[in-house]
Amino acid sequence: MGTALGLYTIRIKGRLGATALSAFPSMVPQLNANETVLTGWLEDRSALFGVLAQIEALDLQLSSSDGCERKPDHLN
Amino acid sequence: MPSSPTAQRAERSARPTLTGFSRAASLLRREDLLATLDRAVRRKVTVISAPPGSGKTSLLRTWSDRSSKDRRVGFVTVPHDQQDAQQFWLAVLDAIRQPAARADSRSRTAPPAFDGDAMVDTIVSELAEQAPVFVLIIDDVHELRSVDAFRQLGHLLAILPSSARVVLSSRRDPPIRLHQLRLADEVAEIRAGDLQFSEHDTRELLAASEISLSDGGAAALHRRTEGWAAGLRLAVISLSGHPEPERFVDEFSGTDRAIGEYLMAEMLERQPSEVQRMLLRTSLVERLNGELADLLADRSGSEQILLELEDANAFVVSLDAERTWFRYHQLLADFLRLELRRTLAGEIPELHRNAAHWFADHGEVVEAVRHTLAAGDWPDAARLLADHLFSLTLDGQEGAIDVLLRSFPDGASADDPELALARAAVELAQGRLEEAAARLALAGSHVQSMPPARRQRVVVAVASLRLALARRSGQFTEVMEQVNLLDASITHESSEPVAMGTELRGVALMNLGIIETWSGRFEDAERHLSEGAALAQKIGRPYLEVTCRAYQAFPSTLVSLTNARERGRHALALAERYGWDDRPVLAPALGALAAIALWMGEFEEGERFLRRGWEVVHADIDPAVAVLLHMVTGMLHSGRGEHQPALEALTAAMQAQSLLTGVHILAPVIAEWLACLGMPDEARATLDEFSTGHEWMDAIDLGRAAISLAEGDPATALAVLGDVHRMMPPLSFPAYALVEAHVLAGLAHLALGHRSAAAAAAEAALAAAEPDRLIFPFAMYRAAELLDALPNHETAHGALLADIVDLLRGAPAPSTERARLSQPEELSPSELRVLRYLPTNLTRPEISGELYVSINTVNTHIRSIYSKLGVRDRSSAVQRARQLRLLSTGLSRTSPK
Repeated sequence: MGTALGLYTIRIKGRLGATALSAFPSMVPQLNANETVLTGWLEDRSALFGVLAQIEALDLQLSSSDGCERKPDHLN
Repeated sequence: MPSSPTAQRAERSARPTLTGFSRAASLLRREDLLATLDRAVRRKVTVISAPPGSGKTSLLRTWSDRSSKDRRVGFVTVPHDQQDAQQFWLAVLDAIRQPAARADSRSRTAPPAFDGDAMVDTIVSELAEQAPVFVLIIDDVHELRSVDAFRQLGHLLAILPSSARVVLSSRRDPPIRLHQLRLADEVAEIRAGDLQFSEHDTRELLAASEISLSDGGAAALHRRTEGWAAGLRLAVISLSGHPEPERFVDEFSGTDRAIGEYLMAEMLERQPSEVQRMLLRTSLVERLNGELADLLADRSGSEQILLELEDANAFVVSLDAERTWFRYHQLLADFLRLELRRTLAGEIPELHRNAAHWFADHGEVVEAVRHTLAAGDWPDAARLLADHLFSLTLDGQEGAIDVLLRSFPDGASADDPELALARAAVELAQGRLEEAAARLALAGSHVQSMPPARRQRVVVAVASLRLALARRSGQFTEVMEQVNLLDASITHESSEPVAMGTELRGVALMNLGIIETWSGRFEDAERHLSEGAALAQKIGRPYLEVTCRAYQAFPSTLVSLTNARERGRHALALAERYGWDDRPVLAPALGALAAIALWMGEFEEGERFLRRGWEVVHADIDPAVAVLLHMVTGMLHSGRGEHQPALEALTAAMQAQSLLTGVHILAPVIAEWLACLGMPDEARATLDEFSTGHEWMDAIDLGRAAISLAEGDPATALAVLGDVHRMMPPLSFPAYALVEAHVLAGLAHLALGHRSAAAAAAEAALAAAEPDRLIFPFAMYRAAELLDALPNHETAHGALLADIVDLLRGAPAPSTERARLSQPEELSPSELRVLRYLPTNLTRPEISGELYVSINTVNTHIRSIYSKLGVRDRSSAVQRARQLRLLSTGLSRTSPK
């Protein structure tokens, strides 16, 4: 479980306002009808956990998080 | 924590209340939940695990405030991002000791050499003393970041005494293995679903807050918040005094915004702008009081706002019973900080700087450094940390220093001399002496390139850390050099008072006194340690005081044995008062007390102290202390006739001595005993290392005499001892050495066949031993034969002789002190003196002659002794006195061969 640079998409229930969005400066927000989609490059697992912890701290409701981690080189 | 001025508190009621708040909105007592918790704590462990704002803390506070005769409650709140296991456990201990106060595990006084595992044992034993049931509540467990603390917490839960309960409250399940407890059905769990407000609860909350809302409106509100406690509380705050509550609920139900943020924004929006401003600008401190809030918000009267916000249950929580310190609910704090960053980003560094100054002015260095770092001023933070390094280490806050050091930017610290100093202090506290030395060398090498204003402080700091390092490594000469350097530095800077001047002086005095003690410079040691202890007491540094006092328990020419014993016990009592009775600094006092007990033939008590001495040092022992403890171990073994273990212990003592750069005061004594136990060559090798003309020639002479005696050359032994009478008190020779000198002389005379000279020496040895009952030398030298030189055991020291004979036979020596304490009616010292003559053949006039008192006085004492012992004649008095262990048996018998 090494560190892996990856593009992540995180879906949060409800439309986040400016204040809540400022908690995720590294992610690009997209406000849909009833959800907020945050997309961004997360350097490693601890960055991902940081974002998830922030979501938890603000009691935002996570609908899903998807990562497309880059495969380790030796598997290519 | 500073308390708020009473005047300010008194004005409070005169001020207008804020719009939108009402006291009626205070916590809704949810009886069903309270009952759930009542049921849960029948099990050993309760885990409350639910998202933020679920009402965990409110529930726990309401529950713990309810009085109950059946239980006592201790409450600990883990502060934000707690990485320091030590601070955490100290807060837990505080909560157990003073359950009335709500503990917040943050900066408090702790001794160095913290041991979390030992702490768990302490906590378990303190919990076991609580009756009938003690409930320890630990709130915000998710803020704990220390792996060690979790491991220790798991251990605590596993060995919890039967009368104790633990409630853990957390946003997520704590990383503690509970399966053993689960299997035993000892875990109760309360989760988000259990905490949710029902629709009925929602209506009650609205009613209690005097908000009239239609049934449909209440239902919609409940649906939209999904029973989330924080959401409902936020909604209630917004709805209080709202002109159109139904419309608010409509809008809220219709919005697709995240509810927490929406409600938080609404709640803030409804506050007067000055309140909003205060909340935002104070959000970056973890806790605040009125004064700090006023400073940050640049206004006055903040305390009033905080009190009202708490009364309105608006996510502000007071931390102390007087309600002077507050913190924001984490959810509110998080939103406020985001909002601050979004709207007032430019002001944030200045706000941190202001907070840092305030904390620094109020002596809260850790917070001050944290905020200085947050302001991005890391060189200032490094300077602040270096300036207060000693203050922090004296309070045992190396853990906090360690955490702060990790917050410095990566590249920043590599070769920063002030940070290297802080790192050295941490390494030193953790016993990594080589690493500490390397850091110190780094700091020292930068001194010349520093601006002159800083240079002096760094020089002082380097010198005092080197001093501590040198002392720990046993480099006596280095210690002296550093003290001189330090002395010069402190004096040099007298024009500009250094913040750490007094503390440094205390540390210097302590280290100096310790080295002087080990080097046998008792007069200097006495002066410096007394001064250090007095200074420590004056500046409120109990740990320093305990350390100084622990080194004052050594008997010497200046300090009598009785006096030393009292000092040792005083040091132990002082340490116990602060819960430091298992600290390595106590080792010298314990070693001294053990040695004193052994000198007096009280082997069991000596063994108890010695065992504690070894226990407190763990693996963390400096060589000078090791010399003492090994030597006392050797004493105990040889006193008990265990030859081989005694030799091994004394050899270990010599090995520890070889790690020192100076000569340990005990080294000649150890050499002497090695010779006595039949290792004259090793003894000689040790003594040869001392230069002649050494200040303790007398002690070295004893060693040489012992060697000659062991090598079958009593004439040389006598020549070395010379005129023993020159050693008579009050000359520079402690009583115990005098006893040894006489015993050695006696043994030498005996070997030469000078029986009457031997008898005279034996009598002189007994006379020297009598005042403090120093019977150990007779045991060490197995001196039965020497005592037999006294014709018919005729001596003025009959009782003492009897004790010695007992000891040589292997019977336990009487513990006079203990026996006297248990006496219903104590004999006076003069009566005890007379009593000791009763088993002898001396007549009353002869006793009066021995004691230089009149026959009438002796008669009076004897009458009084009879009456106190409840006897009518001399022989029953002797018998009763023996039962009470005021005397020992054996005097009238012939001595063992």
